[in-house]
Amino acid sequence: MTTSLITAADPAATPEGPSGRRRPDRRGPAGYRDALSIAAVWLLLIVATTIVRPDFLSSQTLLAVTFTMSISGILAVAQAIIVISGGLLDLSLPVALVFSAWATVTALNNGLPTPVAIVIGLLAGAAWGGLNGVIVVFGKLNPIIVTLATGFGGLAVMLIFFTSAQIPSGSDLRLYGLGRFLGLPNIFWPMVIVIVVAGLALHFTRWGRHVVAVGGNAQAAKARGINLRRMRLATFIGAGAVAGLAGVMFSAVTPSFTAGAGAGFQLIVIGAVILAGISLSGGKGNLLVLLLSVGFLATIPASIAFFGLPPAWALVFQGALLIIAVGIDGYRLKRTAR
Amino acid sequence: MTHSTTRGRLARLGLIGLAAGLALTGCSTVGSTAGGDSTGAADDGTFTVGFATGGQPDADWQQLQGDVAQGLAEQRGWDFVELSNDNSEATATKNADIFIQKGVDVVMMFNGQPSANPVIAKKYEAAGIPVVTFDIAQPGWYFVGVDNAAAGTEGGTSLGELAKEKWDCKVDLVISAEGTAAGQINTWRTGNARDAVKETCPDIPEGDYVSYEADGNLTTSLANAPGVFAAHPDAKNILVVGLNDQAVVGALQAATQLGRDGSIMGWGQDGGLITGDNVDPNLVGSVMYFLEGYPASAFEIADEIEAGNAPAVKDTGDDAAVSVQPCPVTAEEAASIPAIEDRVSQLAEAPKGSTEYDLFCKA
Repeated sequence: MTTSLITAADPAATPEGPSGRRRPDRRGPAGYRDALSIAAVWLLLIVATTIVRPDFLSSQTLLAVTFTMSISGILAVAQAIIVISGGLLDLSLPVALVFSAWATVTALNNGLPTPVAIVIGLLAGAAWGGLNGVIVVFGKLNPIIVTLATGFGGLAVMLIFFTSAQIPSGSDLRLYGLGRFLGLPNIFWPMVIVIVVAGLALHFTRWGRHVVAVGGNAQAAKARGINLRRMRLATFIGAGAVAGLAGVMFSAVTPSFTAGAGAGFQLIVIGAVILAGISLSGGKGNLLVLLLSVGFLATIPASIAFFGLPPAWALVFQGALLIIAVGIDGYRLKRTAR
Repeated sequence: MTHSTTRGRLARLGLIGLAAGLALTGCSTVGSTAGGDSTGAADDGTFTVGFATGGQPDADWQQLQGDVAQGLAEQRGWDFVELSNDNSEATATKNADIFIQKGVDVVMMFNGQPSANPVIAKKYEAAGIPVVTFDIAQPGWYFVGVDNAAAGTEGGTSLGELAKEKWDCKVDLVISAEGTAAGQINTWRTGNARDAVKETCPDIPEGDYVSYEADGNLTTSLANAPGVFAAHPDAKNILVVGLNDQAVVGALQAATQLGRDGSIMGWGQDGGLITGDNVDPNLVGSVMYFLEGYPASAFEIADEIEAGNAPAVKDTGDDAAVSVQPCPVTAEEAASIPAIEDRVSQLAEAPKGSTEYDLFCKA
């Protein structure tokens, strides 16, 4: 059993040996290895950029990286919860993000107080997750296909209702989105809180242990009396609410957005989750590593700017990283199987 | 047991139906006007225009192009058949068959899925029907589109002149918010704007021109631009040009996030974010294209075809049949330009041959 603070683990997810005895859990060290690997690569990127441009280590860079991390980090937590629970991937998260942002902005434009608008945004995300959960759980359908369909359909429905949405420029939420706390963007802190809370919840709460158990070995979890349907539904709703928070933050920093505005997050969020060693086969994941992964990916655009590389390199790097991350995930699975 | 299994199956079928319904909603909404409305042209010798709108759901101007064209056809006493391409290759191809079947005399269209255009072009060629295409060139079709090269140059010149007036051309950084995937259009709009700034303020050092990938949308621009500002910490007077308003505003918002918005000016393209209640205070201008007004230019060609004097086909952006004139406007000027629906109604009531540029640009 791992002793990592934010490493999810559960006895039900631990494979048993032929004799019926539990094999020693090796994911603790693996989680540390993942964390060390990403931290090392991130550090290498920082050092390389600093050698070329010593002014890379500045408060401006810190602001740029933490700002870029904020929304994709929250969204990556939502994706990580789905993946850890064995839900494969939620391809509709960008739509959940914009749906929640739209709900928030619409509430504000209708004169509702900011706290109410934020709650509406969170509920919109949870409702979106609930819709996916109901279809996946009760329809016993593949989550990737379902979320692909709901993402496509949801985008189309949103396009009927709005072509672009704008947050009131003087609203408290907008001012919050433009502000800073402790020298970093305001929206960075909710991301940190979400990662810590979700990480602790996965490790220390019954719900969290059940999420990991269901993702690691559904049959074993069922044998232990865990209600799989209820757990999976709750997971989708919870992840939806986290995506809803990302939507609220998105509306705070984006003065005007269209229904398709979330598409740009898909690649970086999936890339961050896979790179963090959160296996697509479920049951494994460390949100501290996810934070490192998001930070590393958010540093790449800044490094490209410091290196003065042509803009198309950003796309090349993103695509290459995803391929590498999927390759690493495949390697890990083979190694685990051996 | 049997009962619960049947109930379970029914529940699953229902959920599959729900998922399928959502997916189908997506399909049908990406062109909810599929099939379009038709005024039902009978081939009684009256000149007939077949008009295919793009059918992209997030672009109001595409449906409004149809409304403008219908008004112009009515003004001339012509028959008018309108369909939507539904943003679909299959629908665009099917629409070609319908237009040919109805015996239209000219087709005007915007097809956002141009991979079907070569097939469609063969059909029209065989039927002897001339085609006017908006913004997407196809050999053998009259090309009508905004002069992107001029749009870039005029936007850059306007921004350069503002820099000269306000900062005496003492510019520390010129940022290009590129949309690489847009290819030549990006080169015309962003590259020409950059060149025009260079021409207006020739003393800005080459090293102070930087580019980043904004992909033509605010979200990507906002994610990638902060690094650019961080990489140039000493730059104070900053100019931003880009593929469109979204790309430029993304950079301006990033500047605000990093506290670098004290002395920055951006000039966009397409006018998408230069009007309304929430215009970025640093977006000092944009180039408006009046996309919904394209049919006014297409009807200039149709008038000649109807008169039996079809003009020579000019089918490229470089050598367009009609090059729509771009309209650079400052934020103050943009505020006095009517909303898109009002522009359409005013164009419908304007004398024959009027364009939106004539009516609204610098009016």
